[in-house]
Amino acid sequence: MSEINKYMLIPIVRVPGDSLFHRLHPLTKLAWAVGGVTMAFATRNPLVLGVVTVVGFVLLFMSRVWHGYLRFVLMFFPLSLSLIVFQSLAPAFPRPWVPLASIGPFTIYNEGIYSGLSLLTRAYAASNFSMLLVLTTHPGDLFAALQAIGMPHEINWILMTSLQLIPVVQREFGIVTSAQRSRAMKKRGFGALLPSMVPVFAGTIERVTQLSMSLESRGFGSKGKKTSLRRVRARAFDWVMGIFGVVVAVAVSYFTIANSAALDWSEVTFMPVWLAVVLVVGSAIAFVSFTGYYIVRAARA
Amino acid sequence: MAENIIVCQDLWHIYPGDIVALHDVSISIPQGQVVGVIGQNGSGKTTLVKHFNGLLKPTKGSVVVNEMDVGTHAVDELSRNVGYVFQNPNHQLFAKTVFDEMTFGPANLGLEEDVVQERAEQALEFFGLDRYRGTHPYRLSLPLRKLVAMAAIYAMRPKVMVLDEPTTGQDHIGMNTVRRLIEKLREEGDTIVLVTHDMVLVAQTADRLLVLCDSELIGDGAPREIFSGDEMMARTNLRPPQITQLSRRIFKPGLPEAALRVSELAEPLAKTL
Repeated sequence: MSEINKYMLIPIVRVPGDSLFHRLHPLTKLAWAVGGVTMAFATRNPLVLGVVTVVGFVLLFMSRVWHGYLRFVLMFFPLSLSLIVFQSLAPAFPRPWVPLASIGPFTIYNEGIYSGLSLLTRAYAASNFSMLLVLTTHPGDLFAALQAIGMPHEINWILMTSLQLIPVVQREFGIVTSAQRSRAMKKRGFGALLPSMVPVFAGTIERVTQLSMSLESRGFGSKGKKTSLRRVRARAFDWVMGIFGVVVAVAVSYFTIANSAALDWSEVTFMPVWLAVVLVVGSAIAFVSFTGYYIVRAARA
Repeated sequence: MAENIIVCQDLWHIYPGDIVALHDVSISIPQGQVVGVIGQNGSGKTTLVKHFNGLLKPTKGSVVVNEMDVGTHAVDELSRNVGYVFQNPNHQLFAKTVFDEMTFGPANLGLEEDVVQERAEQALEFFGLDRYRGTHPYRLSLPLRKLVAMAAIYAMRPKVMVLDEPTTGQDHIGMNTVRRLIEKLREEGDTIVLVTHDMVLVAQTADRLLVLCDSELIGDGAPREIFSGDEMMARTNLRPPQITQLSRRIFKPGLPEAALRVSELAEPLAKTL
């Protein structure tokens, strides 16, 4: 796992490797990412979305880039379970809702379970395929590939810089926190926000100002064709994989949209009542425990 | 001999990925000593000094600062005794005014309000920052921000001050302010650890130099002794101050062999002319 990813909450830097996905053309991987996100938003059916999520995890595992991403997933999974909890109690669906069970003053609705699971699996389905692109692709390669297909140089650069700026800001945040702790700052959580965030943002603004001057001094924005140190060549295999990815994404999306009525299980009790109760209660316990742990930790700091 | 305030015993630090940054370092620093830590980039200088306030914990071995084991104490506890001035002042400055910046550290230590005010005033006065007291730190130039960062740590009055590249980017006045700070802290009996590439600074202020090379401590002695070690200096790719190099090159009886200041060589040399 790359050094930078170890210190980052959200890993968004390429993890060095030689997997099949690492060696694919950046545009092929971009097509897979777009396809994955499209499939994630083409349906609300949790089963379909769950399959897409699992496929994404499998691809991340096979590419050996899942360590840092898994850390993020495990940390935020309890938080994301709140989607199930809150949706179950107040579904994002038009009334009337079908009650499944009551726990004290709370009523669990079938539409809520469906909606919660749908939102949860959609988030991870889209995220998995997006991270597969980010974790296996050098920004420079993606930059060169997008430029080759005619994307404007400036827009291309904005996208690439955004990807690279975030890990820099995260690293800066770690350094600033160390600096303030060296001044006996005990506070964590909200109390530490100001001493920690002001130097980070001020530093970022200064860096961006200087970067823009540096870029102008080095001819950024000049007219004419740009060359690139990094060259990316598409092999036949890249085309095959790209077409395959697009075909699968289009087929799945078409299938789910064309059969949206049949796949809409919101009006069907698709889960045993006992399982629904266990799911909601378990999610609530995990979410409250996770939130409580961080509140207590912040209060003790 | 003064009691040791910092004791490193068989210290190793290994970063994730099996990167050995410190290899079996053992040193003892007595109270009141000015110690320069020198070496090439990547030799382990910053890694070593970050153990002193607990920002890094030993992988093997131990570091004890003022009888507090660094491995079992938090950074905010250790910062009572060890003040660390980061190389980039922007990593520390966040308050609306320079004066507020001075009060942050002492307030975190739980000092009474009148003591916090007094410390802030003294820090401003010593560093010549009084006229900037109401200024936003980010409106100051980088060298001035560096002084603000140092003053903010000084206001905490730690027993040990670690200065990471204190003269980088400083003009002549700034450099003199840093030298005055070191001398004043020495008079007050504080310990100073300088991490620097400024050989002139350490030659003129340090009692002792620690030389790091490839994560190992390869030299520990007075500046004159260290700068006279040709083999060691060649190994670290460091060069002594120019005046030291000159004095060694033109050495003859009646002249100092390894002068650390211009005045050390100028007067005897003038007599021979």
